[in-house]
Amino acid sequence: MSMPEKAEAVVIGGGVSGTSIAYYLSKEGMDVTLVERGDIASGTSGGCEGNVMAQDHEPGFDSNMTVESNKLYQELMRELGDDFQYHQPGSIFLIESEEEWDFMQSRVEKQKAAGLPVRMIGGDELREREPNLASNLLGAVESTFTASVHPMYLALALVRGAKKAGARIRTFTEVRQIKLDSRHKIRSVITSEGEIRTSTVVNAAGAWAPNIGKMVGLDIPIVPRRGQLAVTEKVAPIASRKMSEARYIAAKFHPELATNAGTDIRKYGVAFTLEPRTDGNILIGSSREFVGYNTGTSYPVISAIIKRAIRFLPVLKDVHMIRTYAGLRPYTPDHLSIIPRVDGIDDFYIAAGHEGDGIGLAPLTGKLIAQLITHVPTLIPVERLRFSRFAMEERKIRENQHLSD
Amino acid sequence: MEKGDLVICRCEEVTKEEIEEAIEDGAQTIKGVKIRTRAGMGLCQGRSCHQLVRKILVEKTGQKPNELLPPTFRPPVRVLNLENLARERE
Repeated sequence: MSMPEKAEAVVIGGGVSGTSIAYYLSKEGMDVTLVERGDIASGTSGGCEGNVMAQDHEPGFDSNMTVESNKLYQELMRELGDDFQYHQPGSIFLIESEEEWDFMQSRVEKQKAAGLPVRMIGGDELREREPNLASNLLGAVESTFTASVHPMYLALALVRGAKKAGARIRTFTEVRQIKLDSRHKIRSVITSEGEIRTSTVVNAAGAWAPNIGKMVGLDIPIVPRRGQLAVTEKVAPIASRKMSEARYIAAKFHPELATNAGTDIRKYGVAFTLEPRTDGNILIGSSREFVGYNTGTSYPVISAIIKRAIRFLPVLKDVHMIRTYAGLRPYTPDHLSIIPRVDGIDDFYIAAGHEGDGIGLAPLTGKLIAQLITHVPTLIPVERLRFSRFAMEERKIRENQHLSD
Repeated sequence: MEKGDLVICRCEEVTKEEIEEAIEDGAQTIKGVKIRTRAGMGLCQGRSCHQLVRKILVEKTGQKPNELLPPTFRPPVRVLNLENLARERE
C-alpha cells in the first residue's frame, strides 16, 4: 500500500455485506477502499447457508426488506455477469402438530397481508410434491418467493464488480485503529499495512462489528450466535426446495414456545433446515448457540441436527456426511440489523447485525448504505434500523446475554 | 495434454488452469483457492489435492511452503453414514 492511501470511504469487512456496500458505493462514483482481515467471505459469509427468505421474518417491515433485496438480486444478476447460483426454488415449513398448524396459520394470514406468496398445504398435497417426506406430517406452509444463492460466489462477484468500478480491495489487512479529530470527525483508518486517510467509515464486520465499534468508543450490542451445519455427499435430488420445520420459527422468535421440547432445542436451538445446493450437496442445519467466537462443530449438536433431519426426511439415513462447519451469526436482541449513520461520530456507519439474514439482505444493505452516504432518499425507511434504538434496551440485552450463557 | 486438462482436485474436477485463475483473482491461501474453485470441497475433503494446491500457490505467489497454513479440517474424519450419526451413544 502506498502510504498514506486516500479514500472517500473505507468499508471494513469482506463478507457479503461489505462487498455489497463497496460495490454500490463505487458504482455511485465514490472512491472506496475495502479492508478485510482475512480473505473475501472468510467469516460468516463462508459459514452459512444461501437463503433469500422472507418466510422466517416478522411479516411487514422485516419481511419487506427481503422482498426489496430480492428485487436487487434480479438487477445484480444482470449487472455483475458472474454466476452466483441465484435461483428461486421456493421453500416449505413443515408442520408436525395441531398447535404448530394454528400458530403457522395465524402467521400466514399476516404474511399474506404483507404481500408474501404463501399458503397452507395439507399432508396429502405435501407428500405429492415432496414424496420423500415422512408420512405423518400434518402439512406445511409453502412460499414460492424463497430464493437461494452461493454466498462465497456472491461476495467474489461483488468484489469483481466493485474493482471494475474502481474500488480497491485490501484483503489480509487488519484494521488496528480509527483516528478521530477533536470534533469527532473521522481522519483515517490505521491498518496492519498502513494508514488510509478518509472521512467516512462503514463498519460491516458482522459478528466482529463490536471490535470495530470500540475503536470509536461505541458499545455495539451484537453477539456472535453460532450455527452448525452438515454437508452431505452429492446425491440425486431428495428435496426440490428449501425445507425447514415450523419449530425453527419458534427457535428464532419465540423460545418460550419451545419450553416443552427436548434438550436439543432448549440447549442448542436445534431445528431442522435443509438446503439442496446447485452442486448436488445438501446442507443440513440448524442450531443457535451463544459460545463466543468459537467456530468449531460438536458431536452432540451435529448428532441432534441429523436426528431431526431423518425424522422429516427418512431417506437421509442412507446418505453420507462429508463435512461439518459452523458460522457466527451477528445476533441483535430485536433480530433487526443496524444500518443508519451513528449519531455523535460524523460519517461512521454500521451495517451489521443481520443474524441469519445477511445473505438475503446483502444487496439491500449495500444499496441503503450507498444511498445514505451519497444523500439519496433510501429505498425503504431506515429509522427502525438506527443504532440509538439500543440505548433504551441496553439493560435488557445484558439480561439476555446472561440468560443464554 | 492440454494445459487446461490437468485435473488437480479429482473429486470436484478442478483443473490446474482454474486454480491459477483463482490465484490471479486474489486467492493467497489454500482456502482462498477452495472457495473460488471448489478444489478440496468434495468427498475426500482435499486430502489428495491440498498438497498440489499448496505447490501451485508457492510457485505463483512466491510464498514459502511453511507459511501457507493448511485449511481448517472439520469432522468427520471419514465420510459417515447419517444413520450412524443419529444413533444414541451408549
